[in-house]
Amino acid sequence: MQSPLETHPAFHLGPLPLSAPVLVTWGLMLALAGGSWLLTRRLALRPGRAQAALELVVETIDQQIRETMRVPAEPYLALIGTFFLFVLTANWSSLVPGIEPPTASIETDAALALIVFVAVIVHGVRVRGWRGYLRNFLYPNILMAPLNILETLTRSFALMVRLFGNVMSGVFVIGIVLSLVGFLVPVPLMALELLTGAVQAYIFSVLAMVFIGGAVEGEPGEARERNDR
Amino acid sequence: MHIDWWTLGLQAINVLVLVWLLRHFLFQPIKAVIEARRAAAAGLLQEAETARAAAQAELASVEARRRDFQREGDAILTAAHAQAAAERKAMLDQARGEAGRILAEAHAVLDRDRAAQRKTLEAEAGELAVAMARRLLDLLPPRQVTLALLDGLATEIDQLQEAARRDLATADAIVIATATPLAPEIQAQWRDHVAQRLGAGPRLEFRHEPALIAGVELRGPHTLLRRNWRADLERLARALPLAPQVRDVQQLA
Repeated sequence: MQSPLETHPAFHLGPLPLSAPVLVTWGLMLALAGGSWLLTRRLALRPGRAQAALELVVETIDQQIRETMRVPAEPYLALIGTFFLFVLTANWSSLVPGIEPPTASIETDAALALIVFVAVIVHGVRVRGWRGYLRNFLYPNILMAPLNILETLTRSFALMVRLFGNVMSGVFVIGIVLSLVGFLVPVPLMALELLTGAVQAYIFSVLAMVFIGGAVEGEPGEARERNDR
Repeated sequence: MHIDWWTLGLQAINVLVLVWLLRHFLFQPIKAVIEARRAAAAGLLQEAETARAAAQAELASVEARRRDFQREGDAILTAAHAQAAAERKAMLDQARGEAGRILAEAHAVLDRDRAAQRKTLEAEAGELAVAMARRLLDLLPPRQVTLALLDGLATEIDQLQEAARRDLATADAIVIATATPLAPEIQAQWRDHVAQRLGAGPRLEFRHEPALIAGVELRGPHTLLRRNWRADLERLARALPLAPQVRDVQQLA
């Protein structure tokens, strides 16, 4: 019996082992990108229902970024928006029979957390420079530098584990219940999993915004001065 | 727990690719259309603002024209008032002048009428006075009146100038006319008076002339002394503007 915590290749493409999460992710990428392409081909100033829904989603994410990070949302919109849409669709992909959400595998969550970790560094350095970014670790004093560095690592790790634990546990529980009691009993649990998936997508995105916003903002008041400039 | 690093790497790449795809196919187009709509709305607002400004400018222009019209109307009204006042003043002046002229003419007519009326009244008064004098004289005794007049005539002879006295003294005859006939003793008495004053040269002729109305006249060649009420009345009548009929009566008398 295979451990649900382990990911095994579904097949190999040459020397490259392709696992189920990667394949599902490709499917999700195809759906998201293709759907976006289809829906944004004929955008008009007078939007239809689909365009209005898309605009609502994008504007909501944009507004959330502005309110959370207190900076212009444009540089972060694609990254944060992709986090939210990908995690959400990945979590909800469990509704398709036979599909296991990619976020239920620790590699996907680790990849997401790794990207957040790198994005924090990249945007922190981009906005504040190396010195400014590194000075962030000395806040409030130099004695806190080891703890700040450790916090940077552990919070990315916690980001990964939080998403993985929530999604994997839901899939695991539904699988167990489904194997034990029958076909319709897991339905409430699946509905709950929908809510959990949406909440986890929101939490992951908000935490990514907070981390990147903290690196961009730096010491208290610094971002306000920068925005004023 | 085992981590498939291939899967981790592929998922990281997948997510990054998805970020690029969604940026390209979702976020950028949606933000672009939102920005375009915002720009269009801003353009519409700007156009509306421009139109509003133009409308306000037009309104201000209309208001300015209305004020100009009002000012022009006021000026025309003021000029009309001034012209009306001037014409009214001119008409009043003309009417006053006309009224003054008419009043002067009326005064002149009144003065003429008053003068004519006064002349008429004076003439009638003179006529009345003459009539009253005749009545009064009729009441007096003619002989006493004639004696009194003769005394007065004697006084006038005394007061004559020397030339007139000589003219009378050298006259052949002197006529003494009275309104009532003189008695012989009166005539004798008068002959003495004349002889005392003028000498015995002139011869006296006494005549009775009733038209003298209680009076006497002494008539020399070139001298006439009148002492009678008729003569006084004639002098008074000449002084008074007697009515024409009165004058005619006097002339006839």
